[in-house]
Amino acid sequence: MLTYDIVIVGAGGGGLYAALETSRCKGLRVAVLTKVYPTRSHTGAAQGGINAALGNVAPDSPEKHAYDTVKGSDFLADQDAVELMCEMAPKVIREMEHMGLPFSRLSDGRIAQRPFGGASFPRTCYAADKTGHVMLQTLYEQCIRFGVEFLNEWFALSLVHNGERIAGLTAVNLRTGSIVGIRARAVILATGGHARIYWKRTSNALGNTGDGPAMALRAGVPLKDMEFVQFHPTGLRRTGILVTEGARGEGGYLINAKGERFMERYAPEKMELAPRDLVSRAIETEIMEGRGFEDEEGNKFVYLDLRHLGRKKILERLPQIRELAIDFEGVDPIEEPIPVRPTAHYSMGGIDTDKFGRTSIKGLYAVGECGCVSVHGANRLGGNSLLDIVVFGKIAGKDAVESIEGLDFVSFPESKVKDEGERIKALFNSDGSEKLSQLRNELSDVMSEGVGIFRSEEGIRRALNKVREIKERAKKLKVYDTELTFNTNLQQTLEFLNMIEVAETIALGALERKESRGAHSRTDYPKRDDEKFLKHSIIRKGDDGELRVSWKPVVITKFPPEERKY
Amino acid sequence: MERREVTFRIKRFNPKKDVRPYYQEYKLTVPRGMTILEALQFIKDEIDPTLAFRAFCRSAICGSCAIKVNGFPKLACKTQVFTELDKFKTSLLTLEPLDNMEVIRDLIVDWDGAFERMKELKPYLIPDPKVVPDTLDEETRVYPEELKKYDKFTDCILCTSCYSICTATQIDEGYGGPFQLARLYRFAVDKRDGLKEERAKIGYAYDMWNCVRCEKCADVCPKHVGPVDAIMRLRGISIDIGLKDNPGARHVLAFYKSLMESGLLNEVLLPLRAKGIKGVLENLPVGIKMILKGKAHSPIMKPISEHESLIKLMKAAMEVE
Ligand SMILES: Cc1cc2nc3c(=O)[nH]c(=O)nc-3n(C[C@H](O)[C@H](O)[C@H](O)COP(=O)(O)OP(=O)(O)OC[C@H]3O[C@@H](n4cnc5c(N)ncnc54)[C@H](O)[C@@H]3O)c2cc1C
Ligand code: SF4
Ligand code: SF4
Ligand code: FES
Repeated sequence: MLTYDIVIVGAGGGGLYAALETSRCKGLRVAVLTKVYPTRSHTGAAQGGINAALGNVAPDSPEKHAYDTVKGSDFLADQDAVELMCEMAPKVIREMEHMGLPFSRLSDGRIAQRPFGGASFPRTCYAADKTGHVMLQTLYEQCIRFGVEFLNEWFALSLVHNGERIAGLTAVNLRTGSIVGIRARAVILATGGHARIYWKRTSNALGNTGDGPAMALRAGVPLKDMEFVQFHPTGLRRTGILVTEGARGEGGYLINAKGERFMERYAPEKMELAPRDLVSRAIETEIMEGRGFEDEEGNKFVYLDLRHLGRKKILERLPQIRELAIDFEGVDPIEEPIPVRPTAHYSMGGIDTDKFGRTSIKGLYAVGECGCVSVHGANRLGGNSLLDIVVFGKIAGKDAVESIEGLDFVSFPESKVKDEGERIKALFNSDGSEKLSQLRNELSDVMSEGVGIFRSEEGIRRALNKVREIKERAKKLKVYDTELTFNTNLQQTLEFLNMIEVAETIALGALERKESRGAHSRTDYPKRDDEKFLKHSIIRKGDDGELRVSWKPVVITKFPPEERKY
Repeated sequence: MERREVTFRIKRFNPKKDVRPYYQEYKLTVPRGMTILEALQFIKDEIDPTLAFRAFCRSAICGSCAIKVNGFPKLACKTQVFTELDKFKTSLLTLEPLDNMEVIRDLIVDWDGAFERMKELKPYLIPDPKVVPDTLDEETRVYPEELKKYDKFTDCILCTSCYSICTATQIDEGYGGPFQLARLYRFAVDKRDGLKEERAKIGYAYDMWNCVRCEKCADVCPKHVGPVDAIMRLRGISIDIGLKDNPGARHVLAFYKSLMESGLLNEVLLPLRAKGIKGVLENLPVGIKMILKGKAHSPIMKPISEHESLIKLMKAAMEVE
């Protein structure tokens, strides 16, 4: 058994910011536990940028940022939390700048800002098209500076609590294969998103499997707004790998097979820079109505054309995008348009928290993409997630330090470690009549069809039933690799089991929300219904193992809901 | 749609179980466009679930998946199978773990040593209170030209490819390492940093002068970072701050001087440039390590024909002056 005052699970931007905040308080034993080496975390893949009303390019204010965010969220975001985030944004940006983050600069030396979808001003601070990468590296460097302790390549398995307060967690050290109990007075989950559920078309890393929400669910902690999954308009045709919104921010066009800039039909004012949910639906509609392209493998797509930006701008502002397009599609954006299609990208829903990151269990926090404060509501704006992770990472880190003062450890039954051992042993001993890759593809297909960009009662029901069927069949999955050292067969199986649990909540939430709002677009209920659904869906697993849905009001301060036009 | 029959010959090893590493072959039909990583995952999914390798982002940004493909470090996720087949004119690809690090299992190596070394070099900004505002209401002014000095070196994804083939790392335990020293340089020229030039001393203490400029780090870097450029510039700074006058620096200078006098540079650097460390080792099986450390005379001292050009090369190597 290991013992720490605070354990942070996850070393992306959210986890690292929380760690830095806790490191200000000397004498606390804090560990960051992560299944990949910290700088591998998916925050590093973020390209486009991070929002803050610095007003360096055009006059701006936190209030305008808040309004755009709330409007982008289709009014489902909690406005007090949004205001807090937007108010803190300029300060955290400067804090990171003071840590050495190499932001791109204006000619007068101030931080540069670019336009992004759904924002009224160029508000997105960036470092070329590697913003998340340099953010992650900078935060990690500062963690080294302040001596943060890391448990690298450890996989968290389950949460342990006494119904009221957190006691710690169990985890497996991937290198040795040993399962360990870790006691802690506070646990901060920062495990990232779960868009890998849409395995075959997603921009996410292989490990974005919703481990945090799945652990929370199993521990009886409620999840919020799970039905909202964002599809990014521009994933590469074959792999779903992301082409940043920055490409449209810099002036890229979307073109259909007729050669039209079709966004004219959907968002005449904002065109390509309308919010993501809208642009994704526009592309899918073009494809459905026969105005898309199709390649010999049957991939359907439209073009993202950057050629008119010119060689210089592309090389300067979007060098990585160019390389990705060349390496993964064989297309040089300087010469040719890039084939793209929407890709599962971001999880608006997550573990239900308040604006301090607190969950229903005292001492258990969730921050970043695995949590839901909520500041993104039904649709996140580009550049707001990197902001969310650092702001709420900071807040939760601070709150955790303060909250454990004077608190003792809660008893941690040894049996909890054994339980996890048993769960894993069963995977080695199963009959293996089902196959991981097969089930994973089936899950991906059924989720994309039933709870993808367009949804309907019938489709969702089918998806939900199918997910439950897959869940049953998954009991027959077998881990064939019996070694203790770096058993990636075991890890991938555990991740898949987590994905199924989370997938079920997405489908259930989608079924219950009988309206269209943000990323949740129901063909049978095409309108937003504020009367019935201006509220958060909450899903909790009861002791009987059944999922239960309830609702929670949305916090509205300054911005009364209005129709969303772009 | 073009498909090809490909044999993947993969080096396998579980030190906990196997006496020695062995190769296992997997035959696959590979469609055009498939990456090495997709091939590995296919093998794991459909043929052999026990195959161990690392991967995460699958878009060349996390640095997890670097392995050797037919002897060269590559990111598995951004390397297309067909490209490699064409390059080597073969239907067989050998996949092995990176060198210079211990194998934990199959293609997974132990990064700890490389990263611990980076940590020793203090790879983080220590803000200069004279430059960085002490309030969060203001940002530091950094002009685009100033950013340019180090921007490229912030692209490093810590994939350890460069470290795995670095000549100096192979022969000098005290060597700082390519990506590690590049990161050190990145801070040395950041106006916001409190140590700035002083950081060259760290590079100095970590034997940056033992870099032999073989440029392999630059050749293999998937992000075009070119650590050797940073190291050369860091050396420049170190001379600028007068580091050449202490005993350690004298030792280094003496080494270079003796190289210049003996013409040994021909033996050491030229084959190295042409063929890499392997070439050098073939030419100089004994004593190379000592020579490069400046602690011994060359066993093969030849009269020098192109002494002039050698001196020029030498000077270029020193960069400064
Ligand atoms: C391709 C791409 C581009 C993006 N671009 C932008 C952008 O330009 N602007 C923007 O604002 N947002 C962007 N986003 C979204 C944003 O990057 C993410 O939402 C954000 O980085 C998530 O950060 P995080 O700290 O919550 O989690 P992550 O960075 O995903 O980190 C999760 C951490 O949890 C650990 N972990 C997970 N499960 C376990 C477990 N079981 N045990 C132990 N450890 C575990 C992982 O090891 C990892 O360290 C982008 C997302 C993608 C996919
Ligand atoms: S140039 Fe120097 S740092 Fe780069 S690989 Fe060669 S010896 Fe190592
Ligand atoms: S410098 Fe290049 S090769 Fe070396 S670790 Fe960084 S990205 Fe990899
Ligand atoms: S998987 Fe991330 S670099 Fe290859």
